[in-house]
Amino acid sequence: MVAFTLYRWLFRVYPVSYREEFGEEMASVFRDAQSELPPELVAKLSFYGREFSGLLWGALRARVDRLFGPATSYGRRDMCTQPRFRRSTVMLMLVMFAGVVLAMATAISVAGGTLKAVWPSLAAVLVFLLLSICAAVAAVLGILRMLRRSGVHRLEKVRVASKGDGSGGLLL
Amino acid sequence: METFPLTEPVFLVLLSLAEQPRHGYSILKDVESMSGGRVLLSTGTLYGALQRLLGAGWIERVQEDDTPRDRRTYRLTPRGRRNLQMEIERMRQLTRVAALRMARKEA
Repeated sequence: MVAFTLYRWLFRVYPVSYREEFGEEMASVFRDAQSELPPELVAKLSFYGREFSGLLWGALRARVDRLFGPATSYGRRDMCTQPRFRRSTVMLMLVMFAGVVLAMATAISVAGGTLKAVWPSLAAVLVFLLLSICAAVAAVLGILRMLRRSGVHRLEKVRVASKGDGSGGLLL
Repeated sequence: METFPLTEPVFLVLLSLAEQPRHGYSILKDVESMSGGRVLLSTGTLYGALQRLLGAGWIERVQEDDTPRDRRTYRLTPRGRRNLQMEIERMRQLTRVAALRMARKEA
């Protein structure tokens, strides 16, 4: 329920026209996928990391398309299975940038000296912390995924051939 | 404007719709199934791709009066099917060359 609320809340970053066209469908698909999640924590974290980072990336893409016209290419640079880590990095950088802006806003408010002035910034900091956690989870999952793709885990299966077997090298 | 090669997620989305019209969640599950669980699309990625494919005229919504707004169905257009066929042919040629090269290396 909390995740769905957060999903709907994050969905506000999409342009209005996009929300009107796909909003109900996307929420429905998210709910269907959520209802079939396996009980394992890793699977849940992976799902939410993928969904929230995909949502933010999609929103950024929709905004850029709106500013500069629709994408004209379906080439590998646009969508491929590899750039999950790169997407996470971009998201993390955006969150860090937002953090710097918020920190500056908070500092200005504190300098003003009233709690009333600080409160809106505190709420924003809480949102920032939440987004940072999402970004960190996405980054960790991205790194794990890249390591898996690199085949590093297969090194455990490597055995060294003995001198007498004629192969003279590593065997996989 | 269409450029090739298609990315794997876009290719799998088109392939999913080549068999029959599907709604969003059905596409998501079918892509996961076709790729053996390797390609897991998020809703943001899926609908971003659907929006662009709709805009390019590769897919279209199936017009059904009784379909709720959150369960709209998509299908390939003739243009989308033609482009998918071209991509499959390109991949077929590539795998043929790859198989030949590998056979030569082994020989």
